Amino acid sequence: MACWKLKFRWQILAAILVSLVALPAFGQTDPADKPTSQGVFGELCQSAQAKMVKVFGAGAGRVDGFATGIIVSDDGKILTTQGVFLDGREVRVVTSDGVSHSATILKRNRVSQLSLLRIERGTPDYFQLSSEPVGQQGDFVVALTNAFKVADHEEPLSATAGIISLRSTIEAWINKRDLAFGGELVLIDAITSNPGAAGGAVVTADGKLVGMVGRIISSSDTNTRLNYAVPSSTLLKFINGELKEKEQKKVAQSAGNAELGIVLFKLGGRSDPAYVDRVRRGSPAKLAGLKPDDMIVSLGETKTATVKAYQDALESLSPGEEIFVIVKRGREVLRIAITPGEKAE
Amino acid sequence: MIRFHWTTILLIGIGLLADAAAALPQQDEATRELDPIETMMLTSKAMRLATEKVRPSLVTIEAYGGVASVQGKIGGIRKQGEGNTTGIIITPDGFIITSTFNFVQKPPIITVVTSDGVRRTASLMGRDDIRKICLLKIDDVKGLPIPEFVGSENATVGQWAVSVGVGYGDTTPAISMGIISAKNRIGGRAIQTDANISPANYGGPLVNLEGQVLGICVPMNPQSQAVGAGVEWYDSGIGFAIPVSLNAPFIERLKNPDFKAAPPFIGIRMRKVPEHEGLWVEEVVPESPADLAGIRREDVIKEIAGEVVGDVMALRSALNRHECGDEIEVKVWFEETGETELVKLVLVSPPRPKGEGPVLEPPKIK
Repeated sequence: MACWKLKFRWQILAAILVSLVALPAFGQTDPADKPTSQGVFGELCQSAQAKMVKVFGAGAGRVDGFATGIIVSDDGKILTTQGVFLDGREVRVVTSDGVSHSATILKRNRVSQLSLLRIERGTPDYFQLSSEPVGQQGDFVVALTNAFKVADHEEPLSATAGIISLRSTIEAWINKRDLAFGGELVLIDAITSNPGAAGGAVVTADGKLVGMVGRIISSSDTNTRLNYAVPSSTLLKFINGELKEKEQKKVAQSAGNAELGIVLFKLGGRSDPAYVDRVRRGSPAKLAGLKPDDMIVSLGETKTATVKAYQDALESLSPGEEIFVIVKRGREVLRIAITPGEKAE
Repeated sequence: MIRFHWTTILLIGIGLLADAAAALPQQDEATRELDPIETMMLTSKAMRLATEKVRPSLVTIEAYGGVASVQGKIGGIRKQGEGNTTGIIITPDGFIITSTFNFVQKPPIITVVTSDGVRRTASLMGRDDIRKICLLKIDDVKGLPIPEFVGSENATVGQWAVSVGVGYGDTTPAISMGIISAKNRIGGRAIQTDANISPANYGGPLVNLEGQVLGICVPMNPQSQAVGAGVEWYDSGIGFAIPVSLNAPFIERLKNPDFKAAPPFIGIRMRKVPEHEGLWVEEVVPESPADLAGIRREDVIKEIAGEVVGDVMALRSALNRHECGDEIEVKVWFEETGETELVKLVLVSPPRPKGEGPVLEPPKIK
């Protein structure tokens, strides 16, 4: 299925290229003095290729042993995704001239799924990383990736065009067993959720790096694959050593010792709505005026569609920090302030 | 198909940019130098403005309990997510249109967050399983903003189209750009687009660059009427949206909470045989419309509702234009008498297999 996703996007790119070629005719300028005979993306794709590499490493079962990489310095530093392909005996990097280099792994981050490699050679062409957001919703972008290992040796990477769909921190998972993926993402509508595309570059029409295509992840909300880039600012933090796995994890798993004094109905399973069965005497919930049969719609910023979601949301609260709880009472929806207490041991 | 797609995009792409050129500030057209990057940025800006225009009418639909209790797969997706879904306000007093995909299971509680951030409980109204749309109602509201809708007659194949939806869980909608790929798809009810259409925007609008709603994004597959059919094509470049006009009878009837539009069922298994023109009847379901009309095994179906049915595909497309409850004329050659006659029959909804829930899995594509 994923294969023909790619195909359709190609056509759009081609269409844009060709329409841009046709532009001077409408503007009635002399085509000869326009350097953009290949259109915006045409030049962009060419100039960006020199800043990109193909990465090859160990494959394991159905896990792919290849990825894409972005050159980020003049001394051979290469950003790519994190994965088992880095765990083999050797990681090889093929630069745009088709030369294969042995790469060393400088660092890896398992929370943001990033790694930094280095090859022993000067790399005069590289992408500047920006600490500011690059590109806004609706801006045209091109993703350059080696999805499906289509490009061999010195062959240029595949380009797909799209727009920025949304900048957001949304919930996602890598696969059923892995931890949820954290941090801000730049969602795009060019299809990049294909094997080998991770580590690819997402570039604006004027050649700036929006971010790096990340590993294949799925949205927790829709269970569909996400097409996205890890923003340039996150990449910069990673390179500068400002992303600490431990701290990132700490943010992901907060306190967990908050208590509201609510006992939920436990009729069916954990996918039932979170209905209040009892409110403990003297508890924060009692003080806030919650009542039996209220349905908890959200805790803080988290929607609590099910008993399970409520329990997860409760885990993330901190004692003493006031939050709003939204409850449904009859046909009314109420917003109630509540300050969680500390869980009694 | 691909070839067709290509040329269309090329021609229209050129046309669109010419339009963009015309829309630029008044300058001497002969001397105006069009910078390609500037042109693209203007298009991006237009997409943002279009999204902004429709945003006040967008709602986030939240369902509580039992939504994700459907196990297994729907289409290509592991199972329906627990996430929020998108809807569009269609009347100032609180009718909201969305996709039936968001309500495969009937959740006990539904709340709706309007663009002003207010959350209200909503009730499920009528349901159209052919167009995969349904209505919700929120009470005690008035003066809600409704978007502008344009009919498919005002949509042009090749024009820009932007799909908008809040399904990823952020209050800001995600957008995807594409063009209208075709009109009059799936029994003439849907328009096709190559903008990404997925659970992230099912129920949300497909808008043009003026922010007018071209259609409601839905999962669809011409080969199947199953609830989840079409999800397997999510984000593929093959997406569908149902054009809506607010006073259309098919919208009006959904305001009745008990209304249900189901795909039509005729009750014949038939196939093409070399001896006959038309479709040879292999089996007739007892008590089905065909049975009641006196159609028997070995009869031959020639026409359905005026359309010649040379093969099963033609029959399906002819039937697709109707829904359960419609009375249609069928031209049949009766084996017993050797005569060709027109018979009338009333289409019903397909019978549910006993002891089984709704069929979620679309048939495998051969």
